[in-house]
Amino acid sequence: MSSQASAGAITLPPDRDARSLGPAAAEQRERLSAEPPRSFARQAVSDTFRRAGARFGLAWVAVLIFCGVFAPFLANSHPLLLKMDGHWSSPLLRHLTPADVVLLVATFSIVAALLARPVPKRLRAIAALAVIGLSIPLAIVFVRPPETVVFEQYRQAEREGRVQSIVRAPVPYSPTDYLRDSPEVRRTAPSRQHWFGVEEFGADILSRMIHAARIALTIGFIATGIAVVIGVIIGGLMGYFVGVADIIGMRLIEIFEAVPTLFLLITFVAVFGRNLYVMMVIIGLTSWTGDARFIRAEFLRLRKQDFVQAAVAAGLPLRSVIFRHMLPNGITPVLVAASFGIASAILTESVLSFLGLGLVQEPSWGGMLNQARAAGGNFSWWIAVFPGGAIFLTVFAYNLIGEALRDALDPKLRGIK
Amino acid sequence: MTPNAGGTAAAPVDRSRATPGAKPLLEVRDLNIAFDTERGQVRPVRDVSFSIYPGQTVALVGESGCGKSVTSLSVLRLIPQPPGKFLGGSVHLEGRDLLDLSEKQMRSVRGKEIAMIFQEPMTSLNPVYTIGDQIAEAVVLHQHANARQAIEIAEQALRDVGIADPGRRLAEYPHQMSGGMRQRVMIAMALSCKPKLLIADEPTTALDVTIQAQILELLRRLQRETGMSILLITHDLGVVAENADVVNVMYASRIVETATVEDLFDRPQHPYTEGLFRSVPKLGAHASRLETIAGTVPNPSKFPSGCKFHTRCPRTRMLAAQASPQDVVTINTGEETFPVLRRCQQDEPILREVLPLHGAACHQIAGYDVSPPIVPRSDHRREVVPQAVEEGNPEAIVKGET
Repeated sequence: MSSQASAGAITLPPDRDARSLGPAAAEQRERLSAEPPRSFARQAVSDTFRRAGARFGLAWVAVLIFCGVFAPFLANSHPLLLKMDGHWSSPLLRHLTPADVVLLVATFSIVAALLARPVPKRLRAIAALAVIGLSIPLAIVFVRPPETVVFEQYRQAEREGRVQSIVRAPVPYSPTDYLRDSPEVRRTAPSRQHWFGVEEFGADILSRMIHAARIALTIGFIATGIAVVIGVIIGGLMGYFVGVADIIGMRLIEIFEAVPTLFLLITFVAVFGRNLYVMMVIIGLTSWTGDARFIRAEFLRLRKQDFVQAAVAAGLPLRSVIFRHMLPNGITPVLVAASFGIASAILTESVLSFLGLGLVQEPSWGGMLNQARAAGGNFSWWIAVFPGGAIFLTVFAYNLIGEALRDALDPKLRGIK
Repeated sequence: MTPNAGGTAAAPVDRSRATPGAKPLLEVRDLNIAFDTERGQVRPVRDVSFSIYPGQTVALVGESGCGKSVTSLSVLRLIPQPPGKFLGGSVHLEGRDLLDLSEKQMRSVRGKEIAMIFQEPMTSLNPVYTIGDQIAEAVVLHQHANARQAIEIAEQALRDVGIADPGRRLAEYPHQMSGGMRQRVMIAMALSCKPKLLIADEPTTALDVTIQAQILELLRRLQRETGMSILLITHDLGVVAENADVVNVMYASRIVETATVEDLFDRPQHPYTEGLFRSVPKLGAHASRLETIAGTVPNPSKFPSGCKFHTRCPRTRMLAAQASPQDVVTINTGEETFPVLRRCQQDEPILREVLPLHGAACHQIAGYDVSPPIVPRSDHRREVVPQAVEEGNPEAIVKGET
């Protein structure tokens, strides 16, 4: 980024032809502008990153992503390497679930695709998608973790002196390891062994929080993704075709805005049981209205713009006019709204879990808050403060990112600083 | 179609063709367009007819709001429907009526056979794509080229419009270019698919004067090279004088005068055309103030009766001052009250051939009533300006090479 900025500082006036400046000047200009020209999107991204708030927000989201992807390696009762009774094994790797494996493969192929600069962009994208797509069936077929898990066996073996050497995860407790071998630690405050304390059933809170990051991220991204896709399609049709389409779409928006999301979710959970995906879909289906309104307004503005008229006059098909020429110019308010939407989806999931309607098996931040309240009459601050803090920080981080995006994308606010 | 449509009394004698065998590329006949608004129907285009021959430049001239842009958009069927609708007439491109085509067939006409460039080069290019992407997209669509060929065609198109270092420019974004450069890109994009007709909607209005001349010269050169026709929409008589072969003057959604460019500049007949000429500054003339045409173009929802120009017409005012009282009515425009001729206020004139091949719609032209109706369809070409003069190279003339 900094090299681009320094190159930009000494370019020649833009509207003088290289031709009019003579061959030497043309050559000089060639050298100066060797840096590829920056698109609006690039400009906006670098503007966003320049804000301190956005940096904090992105850093926290990066931490969450790291936790989500590497959760089994960060917090696990299974040792990473174990030499027991004279031979080596890796119980941690053996106990990875297909979901863990797919997530790891996806992360590594995306990172590899981003780093492999010399390969053409399209090729990298196709390769990464192919690897991810292949990994899903392969993981389901070949990754078969043992069904019965005894977390205590390693600690017991260690006590019996059968372990010659052991490499543990940084937090050596699985989220569902209820430490049955040491019931005395249940509901104890943070200590050296359990940094964030232990909850009422004996599970380590830090470990549960690390594993819950995955749910928080997934629900935020998928629910918002569903909302954005629906909102863009309906809002786009309304804004482009106006007239009857607009009137129908507006009524549809009003109907969906009248649906109380939380009560609908509670009803669904009561009827169909607890399912994370149902939650995501319902949150997505009820929160697209704002996105649709944004896209509609943008399209109403864009359809009168000359370049859209020019695209139509060039005989481009409707698909291209709407998705190639209008959408990229009108998506920015939705991006801003989406980052706020992720925050609100995470909050909704937390509320649901707090109400005891979240997942039972998987840990979630909202569910842990509920445990703090329900913990046998007296309030255990550490069960509430850490997950609550994580929810707060995550929502705050997404709001900061959204705000920075809005400032970077709003031309009226540009250059005020 | 409508009672006032030209040619109802006697079929117009076709004496307009310099070359008898030539067929027009585009033939617009009795085009009528209406828009449904909240305050009722408005008619931005009424009984408009004109023809464009291959290689010809036809200008539509008029003030803002006189219907010239709607006319040009309707040729490509870019009028939003609703609220707009075609009330009748035809737009024939090489024998096919564009108004009968399906939307899908129309898409293969747009860009491929008829291309358009717009007034505002600053906003006519999509800010999120590079120049190359934008030109190549249309090329891939219309010429069935693959991506690599499309980039080559785009590069050649940029070279054709005189952009230096086209290979590098392809990778640039619109915001990195000046207005004149962008208008060149627009022209390159429009011409990359080799259209037969280019609609240029005020192509130079938003540009600096020096750039204007370059762009006009560029259009002339490309027309010479490709043989395309140009429909030039403008309010600038200087642009008309430089590029047009045939001029149609529009006022209040109708064509009020049609003539060859030389004829129109020598002998303007309609008082509106005269007014347009008087409001152009002249070199060496010592006028303390530039004349204007009083008032503004009437809103299509509030057209006056009779001749639509009578509320602003100096001719009818002057004649009314000398006419007998029964021929005169007094009108109030809201700003002032003055007498006009009763006939101008009641009867809308049609285009009649008041001079050979020169049509005008004004009751107060000598011999108007006995002239035959005329449909604007001249295939006149202006005399080709020798290239040496055009390029501003006086030495070439001195040497007598022209």
